[in-house]
Amino acid sequence: MKKVCEHWSQAFPSQNVGDYLFAEFEKRGQAASAEIFRVKTAVEAGEIVTNLAKFTNAKKIVTVDSPLQKATGMKEKLKSLGMLVYNTATDIAEHAESAEIGISAVEFGIAESGSVCMDGYSFENRLVSMLPPIHIVFLNSKNIVLGITEAFEIISQVYQQGYVSFITGPSRTADIERVLTIGVHGPSRFIIIAIDEQIDGGKK
Amino acid sequence: MTVNNRNLTKEIAEKLEDTILRGALGRFAEAYPISRAKAYENVEDIEALREQVRQMKIATVNHIEEVANAFEAAAQQRGAKVFRAKDGDAVKKYLLDLCHEKDVKRIVKSKSMASEEIHLNHSLEEAGLHVKETDLGEWIISLAGHKPSHMVMPAIHLSKEQIAGYFSEELKQQIPTDIAIMVKVARENLRKEFLLADMGISGANFGIAENGAIGLVTNEGNARLASTLPPIHVVIIGYEKLIPTIKDAAPILRTLPRNATGQLMTSYMTMVSGQTPVMVKKTGKWIEQEKELHIILLDNGRLKAAHDDKFKEIYQCVRCASCLNVCPIYTLVGGHVYGHIYAGGIGAILTALLSSQEDFDKINELCIGCRKCVEICPGKINIPGLIDELRSQTVSEKGLPFGVRMVFDNVLANRKVFHNLLRLASIGQKPFTSGNVIRHLPLFLAGLAKDRSLPAVADIPLRDRIPKITKKITKPTLRVAFFSGCNTDFVFPETGEAVYKVLQDLNMEVVFPEEQSCCGKPVLGMGDREIAKKIAKKNIIAFEEANADIILSSCPTCTETWHETYVKLFADDREWKQRAEKVAHKFREFTSFVEEHYEKTGRLTPKAGSMRVTYHDSCHAKRGLGIYKEPRALLAAAEGYELVEMKDCDKCCGMAGAFGVKYTKISMPILRQKITNIKESGAHIIAVGCPACMMQIQGGLDKQAPSIQVKHIAQLLAENIKE
Repeated sequence: MKKVCEHWSQAFPSQNVGDYLFAEFEKRGQAASAEIFRVKTAVEAGEIVTNLAKFTNAKKIVTVDSPLQKATGMKEKLKSLGMLVYNTATDIAEHAESAEIGISAVEFGIAESGSVCMDGYSFENRLVSMLPPIHIVFLNSKNIVLGITEAFEIISQVYQQGYVSFITGPSRTADIERVLTIGVHGPSRFIIIAIDEQIDGGKK
Repeated sequence: MTVNNRNLTKEIAEKLEDTILRGALGRFAEAYPISRAKAYENVEDIEALREQVRQMKIATVNHIEEVANAFEAAAQQRGAKVFRAKDGDAVKKYLLDLCHEKDVKRIVKSKSMASEEIHLNHSLEEAGLHVKETDLGEWIISLAGHKPSHMVMPAIHLSKEQIAGYFSEELKQQIPTDIAIMVKVARENLRKEFLLADMGISGANFGIAENGAIGLVTNEGNARLASTLPPIHVVIIGYEKLIPTIKDAAPILRTLPRNATGQLMTSYMTMVSGQTPVMVKKTGKWIEQEKELHIILLDNGRLKAAHDDKFKEIYQCVRCASCLNVCPIYTLVGGHVYGHIYAGGIGAILTALLSSQEDFDKINELCIGCRKCVEICPGKINIPGLIDELRSQTVSEKGLPFGVRMVFDNVLANRKVFHNLLRLASIGQKPFTSGNVIRHLPLFLAGLAKDRSLPAVADIPLRDRIPKITKKITKPTLRVAFFSGCNTDFVFPETGEAVYKVLQDLNMEVVFPEEQSCCGKPVLGMGDREIAKKIAKKNIIAFEEANADIILSSCPTCTETWHETYVKLFADDREWKQRAEKVAHKFREFTSFVEEHYEKTGRLTPKAGSMRVTYHDSCHAKRGLGIYKEPRALLAAAEGYELVEMKDCDKCCGMAGAFGVKYTKISMPILRQKITNIKESGAHIIAVGCPACMMQIQGGLDKQAPSIQVKHIAQLLAENIKE
């Protein structure tokens, strides 16, 4: 899968980053209506995904592969529950529009705003985050930076070309009578699963 | 688009009667400052952050060509095509050619004010293309056939019932007035458009020269879809959105969402640099290819502005529209009366620079000059200052209307004639006065006060009372020359008497230079700098001759005119500039001057009292001179009074010089809200530091709350001095 950078964490600053910022990140993210879970192991993260899929009666799930996602073992579990799981670029292009859940991984979180930073160079990574009504992301809980300024210090080191975005809660509008309404063109639920366990390059 | 023969007064009256608009804007004006303040709660130093935005933008506009060249090169290196468009026609031609060449039939658009500016949709549709706005608000107004009435909330002027009507008509089915259902309907209908589109057109919130990336800040997610799904992406971006480096996006992103919608970050912030992969289905198979990316850099008046010493300031705008949200005029009448597509104060300026000066001329008076916007603008743009500048340009090119100029030149610039007329008015008004109100001064004389009655001209002006109120001070600590200003001289001479009493009680000698006249602000407000210079010279000479240690006024507007405007007026005239600077240096505003001397003499200890007094901040005192603590310190220390604060104490009273007189219809609702806030504070007395506010508030109290008295702080202090 094409990425803006293969190893974002190598561009992290030596200060103002770490899981000590998680509480603030969580508070700000929740204020933006993101649903946030923090778990110790990747396997627990996989359990959360399967439970969510069960409770929402999901039949079709599109996911891009990432070291974090692989470590959760979720694909096998979801398939064993009879759900359709798609993870190749062509399958995602074909099925993202009709899937109930899209799953991807993000590079880091921002404590100041509760945002997450997504490397969206690949088309399929963008589709899973845009088209299904529920978007779930995996995040390493150590990868929280202090603010937007720090986020851009990282981005400026790695961003040559491609697509980088921040996601802060679900899609929303207030265009009719200024009434906040969730889920216009993008997902109506945005779920962050932060994992404490260090996962690297697909190996535990 | 030039709007000819507009009847602005009628348009305004219609907007003021539009209860849906008034309700929506009123609620928004209430909610906005609170949500903005909350959004900034975790920014340590807001001022430093605003300064960072400002400096970065100034540095950029000073090298706009280099930045634009770098941006173009970086984007092209990464496979984008960059087209520099001189104007709207160039954009349209480029796009129509592109659509023809690539066989584009269906287009989805995410929000782009630049495309609104050039009326792009109309041209595309005329060429037979299927174009859909996908931002919910933009889609709504495109169905309604309206222009956006706000840059961030284009459909704020419509109710859910009206919107449901437009939806039902478009979709040929009955859509209920439930907002959640309407949003869902919009999602389903527009999703199809995204999936079928051959081209996506977006605007951009910033463009980064370092790597050619464009940035999009949205909440709905439509810009992500428009920039991702179709095989061709076209970005329309104005030169003012360019920034040099990736890191420069940070200060914009820390201010734009907070100021625009009170969010710490919008749901989506998306950056696209160069070509990215896209998958398209061809003969049943998904094929990955590089997306075509076209970036249209729009000039349309922007480059000319970049090279203008004053107007390059518009490059500091991040298009958050927060200046509208705090504008007392916008929040009453909405965006449509501004004629072109950009609303509010910044809109008036953009209209002049990007549309036409004629369009601006029709709306330029809709800025009340209160500077609420200057306080919150992320780029710290002096919006009222630029509007003044544009007015002066018009006047120096075309002149004022003949009658107004005659009055200004022959009356205001000639003290004797002016003052004689005022004296005549004092006699002449007698048969017509009802209670204590009649017509107002220079504005009345200039024929501008048609629909409005204001406090009566006093029987005996202050200048004729001077011998009676002047005390002989044996060993004065200071010699103070008093500049009364017209209102204090001819309408509120009691304020002048109180000033004398307070200063003389401080053992100061007070003198009144006879030759002083109007400070010239009404003339400046109309944009005539030549007549203003005449007036300024006469005043400067009068006060040079007074040979005083201090020159003092109890009117913040006059003070500011002396302090800043006189010096600026003579920027190109060395001799007069020096003379203006010299008097400006001695010039003081009453409350801050007295506070300083009360402090020195140990008279500032807060005291309890039973009479509740609340203070109204004049725009010029608070945001012009930065004086707001001093009057409160004086009131807190005044014997017998208890200082209470009212809601929105620093919001304009609606007078604002010529404005309140000429646009009575807008001025009145602003005043009513002010009086309501005064009443709700429970105060017995409303204290002011400005005679113009005093005039306005007195008129409102007479009608709404006759038991509350308005007093200048000088009067409250004078009453506490034992003879």
